[in-house]
Amino acid sequence: MVPLARKTLVHEWRRFLPSALAVAFSGLLLLVQAALVFGIFNSSAVYIRKSGGELWLGYPGTQSIELGRPIPQQAEIAALMDPAVGRVEPFNWIDGDWRGPADKGGVSVFVSGIDTRADALMFADALTPAQRALLDEPDGVIVDRADLAKLGLSVGGQAVINGHRVRIVGVGSGLRALGGVNIVTSLATSRRLDNGDSGGRVAYYVVKLHDGADAAAARKRLQPQGQARTFEVWTRDAFARRAVTYWMFETGAGLGVVLLAIVVFVVGALITSQTLMGAVAGSIREYATLHALGVGFAQLRHVVLKQAAWVGAFGLVVGGVATALVVLLAHRRDVPVQLDLVTIAVCATLVMGIALLSGLAAVRALRHADPALLLR
Amino acid sequence: MNAALVADALSKSFTTGAVRTDVLRDLSIEIAAGELTLVSGPSGCGKSTLLAILSGLLRPDGGRAFALGQDLARLRPAELERFRLHHTGFVFQGFNLFPALSALEQVMLPLGYLGLDDAIARRRAADALAEVGLGSRLQLKPAELSGGEKQRVAIARALAKEPQLLFADEPTSALDAANGQIVIDTLHRIARTHGATVLCVSHDPRLVGHADRVLAMEDGRILADRRTGAPMPA
Repeated sequence: MVPLARKTLVHEWRRFLPSALAVAFSGLLLLVQAALVFGIFNSSAVYIRKSGGELWLGYPGTQSIELGRPIPQQAEIAALMDPAVGRVEPFNWIDGDWRGPADKGGVSVFVSGIDTRADALMFADALTPAQRALLDEPDGVIVDRADLAKLGLSVGGQAVINGHRVRIVGVGSGLRALGGVNIVTSLATSRRLDNGDSGGRVAYYVVKLHDGADAAAARKRLQPQGQARTFEVWTRDAFARRAVTYWMFETGAGLGVVLLAIVVFVVGALITSQTLMGAVAGSIREYATLHALGVGFAQLRHVVLKQAAWVGAFGLVVGGVATALVVLLAHRRDVPVQLDLVTIAVCATLVMGIALLSGLAAVRALRHADPALLLR
Repeated sequence: MNAALVADALSKSFTTGAVRTDVLRDLSIEIAAGELTLVSGPSGCGKSTLLAILSGLLRPDGGRAFALGQDLARLRPAELERFRLHHTGFVFQGFNLFPALSALEQVMLPLGYLGLDDAIARRRAADALAEVGLGSRLQLKPAELSGGEKQRVAIARALAKEPQLLFADEPTSALDAANGQIVIDTLHRIARTHGATVLCVSHDPRLVGHADRVLAMEDGRILADRRTGAPMPA
């Protein structure tokens, strides 16, 4: 069988290029948007995912980590009494007002007070033992290197949080989150910065269970019952999901993403179908001749759909490569981006959908492939 | 019914706006196999419409059209497509070749839809191209061929299907005298050597001498029907 669809594509590539680029661009937009959205929204869970431990104890109903409120110390005691619990580590979370160099004004910051021991749970995957040790210096803080410019300081620089002087003793990466600059410090320093407002209470306790313990069962045991709950218990994954869901849906951003994806899909399909229709119209006399020779419409449709599929595949590859470059660039610039296989598969399906839907629209142009037109 | 093509009291009219034009008026004719029949006449006389109806591309308003004994009006669209695929070849005024395909591929293309495997299709296509004198130009694309060569590729495309019916609509009007001569001779030879029924429609007076039979048409009717005794082309 003569590969008419492919040969025509190669020979008249200029004609098909706009549709392939439209598909590629749609793919790029869909993928980059997804990468950014998942990157940004997952950064709301980054503190949870980059830490050890299986259970989190926090203020009842807390929807995302930055919304934490102090909880009573009895939560820690309750946890320690459970046979499955190996360790309980306090994690303090307070809001702060950062005053650095005069030209940067005030910056809202979140202060994380963590255990500085080498084997501590908080930020187990984000900070090295050496970085933790730096926080043992009183009033020492670590910031994400991407936030240095915003704060107008470098390592060794001094600033004031909530009226207390602090010094940047180091930088980390992957510490950025939504809503403000994150400052990591020791538990002791964070208590000083809190001005005693919390009465020594912390916002979270992170629980490490004994090896092999059932996290779900332990959560159930620890979860206080009744109306007057003073804290709530989540598994690590559940708490991370809660944070992502909060940002994705409660803020309306998720809906925005879906709407934008629809717009990209429709615009991509419109441009692609118009170009494919033009390509069909350009060969209409040849198609009509084939039809006169007895080649059915179904088979002609097949040729057009094949072309659409090739255009889609080409667009997918170009869009994929472009996305990879953008993601690489974003990583270098510490812009939070994240793509998983499911997202890529969904975007790829959408992109092929754009191409094939456009092909179906272009097939309609074949109606004009009436051999009688060749006889006039 | 021995004739390959039979028109029985065909009528057809077209309506443009409020104007109704009768293109065919109660036209009856029988066309025999193995010869080249030329329908000539001024443009608008209905000759292309006659060809379209006899080849199953168009349905008449009245009367019946038989091709190879088959009443075309009784065939459903899919059956009509299958009938054309297996029994008919077409040559049009415009050559209508795919710009992306070589001469060989143009001719192979319909054969693929006939279900022939590639090797057989390739051999048949090469034979057909050799028969129209293009045996050495198999790999050239339309842009590299002259007008006459393109039309010969189009004839080879129709011929390779080994059709019993070959329809040609103004096959020479885009060609110069020499190429027109080659094309009509080729069509004539196909009728004689393949036993095909070749129905050619043209207003080109140069063709009259090359046809076995000439039907002169005007205003939707056949005015004259004569045999020319044209010699077998060399």
